[in-house]
Amino acid sequence: MSRVDDSAGSEAGGSGHWFGHAELPPEQAEALTRAKRLEVITVVYMVTCVTVVFATAGSSQAMKTAWVEDALALVPPLAFLVSVHFGRRRPTADHPYGFHRATGVGHLTAAIALLAVGLLLAVDSTMSLLRAEHPPIGTVRLLGHTFWAGWLMVAAMVYTGIGPFILGRMKLPLAEQLHDKVLFADADMQKADWMTAAGAIAGVLGIGLGLWWADAGAALLISLSIVRDGWTNLHYATTALMDERARTYDDEHPHPLTRRVDEALAVLPWVDDSRSRVRDQGHVFHVEAFVRPASGRHPTLDELEGAADVLRELDWKVHDVVVVPVADLPETIPAPERNPG
Amino acid sequence: MAEIRRVLLLAAAAVLLAGCGSLVPDDFPADPDGTLDGVREAGVLRVGAAPRRGWIEVGDAEPAGREARLVAGFADHLAAEVEWTVAGEEELVRLLDGGEIDLAVGGFTDTNAWVTEVGLTRPYSEVEVDGTTEAHVMMVPMGENALQSELERWLDAQPAAGRAP
Repeated sequence: MSRVDDSAGSEAGGSGHWFGHAELPPEQAEALTRAKRLEVITVVYMVTCVTVVFATAGSSQAMKTAWVEDALALVPPLAFLVSVHFGRRRPTADHPYGFHRATGVGHLTAAIALLAVGLLLAVDSTMSLLRAEHPPIGTVRLLGHTFWAGWLMVAAMVYTGIGPFILGRMKLPLAEQLHDKVLFADADMQKADWMTAAGAIAGVLGIGLGLWWADAGAALLISLSIVRDGWTNLHYATTALMDERARTYDDEHPHPLTRRVDEALAVLPWVDDSRSRVRDQGHVFHVEAFVRPASGRHPTLDELEGAADVLRELDWKVHDVVVVPVADLPETIPAPERNPG
Repeated sequence: MAEIRRVLLLAAAAVLLAGCGSLVPDDFPADPDGTLDGVREAGVLRVGAAPRRGWIEVGDAEPAGREARLVAGFADHLAAEVEWTVAGEEELVRLLDGGEIDLAVGGFTDTNAWVTEVGLTRPYSEVEVDGTTEAHVMMVPMGENALQSELERWLDAQPAAGRAP
């Protein structure tokens, strides 16, 4: 039997925030509101960064690379905002599972953008190094003063380095509360973005010291860090879309709920054994539990519905639950190893 | 791959330390190939000139014209004598790239085609020609930032540099 309970949340004084037909608990609803606000701030901030860095980049390869990374940093927040917007839609006849996968699509898009551009920049920087290009940075004249343009670049990178450092750290706990992997990817990358800024500053100051290779060298390291981000995210986005067993928000471990579903079912008096599939649809989980009743017991409709309720009460993320009584546990689903995170 | 970030960090720290250690020295930015120091030590500024009416006039004697006067002034500023090489634009770019001259003039504008081969100074003069604005620049060896910065500062300080020839 399959049933999705629409009323439970509102009875319990729900938050009025929804992911599809899953109503968010107040804590998550607040996290979602904060996350959306932070991502809007991120987008606005990064647009100013892109403008400032573009205006000062001159012919520094490291600055050019940092500029592209700043521009790419717009993709994850936008992917988050778009996927949250679509993910809250309720299921329709054409989309019976709802629109939660929008998160996965956003994640994959962001990953491919990172990977492709990272590789491009790595090749670009390597060519600059091989050709031994000496980047020219002259002076600028501002308000009647002439000074070396490198100082402007350093100032621009200090500005672009500070924001992500703070924003990333603020977004990380929200990603855990919301179980949002796009938000996590975004926060995780931003948290480390200050090193991009530091690298670009090192490159520019290196030019100032007459070390022409410092610039392209810094650019190469920055582009490799973009490639790394892209590769990691591509890996996780792809496995999630392949219906991998649900994992924690940071993809470090199998999600504890995958184990707790079977544990919760085993406690029911009429259940002998169970085997379940838990997949992450983006924010919420889709649970299919195959249950073998104790010998001679035929579960009643109430018992089956009660089992689904037990699972739904485990966590707000467990929202689309199917409990199927079977004579034998399906062999097509391998038993999970007994040591999930 | 966390090493990449660690290396980035180390590199940043190293260069920052190096920068602070010398407390932004007088020769900041420095020339990778030491062109400006070379001019000062030798007392000779090797200048390539391509003829262009009003800017570089080439007769029997040394080049004359507006940019020739500017170059002489800049050489004075560096306590150096000018050593002229008169050639076409492409040849001058080759000489700059090979480090055989320190500076090239010839009424070049900031839209010239050699921007990926040589360093161009910030435009120091804007001139109306046939309804469009020409922004004039000089050429220096690519990435010789001490020389380029010194020249740009000096040009900024010339009250006459901005006027038409």
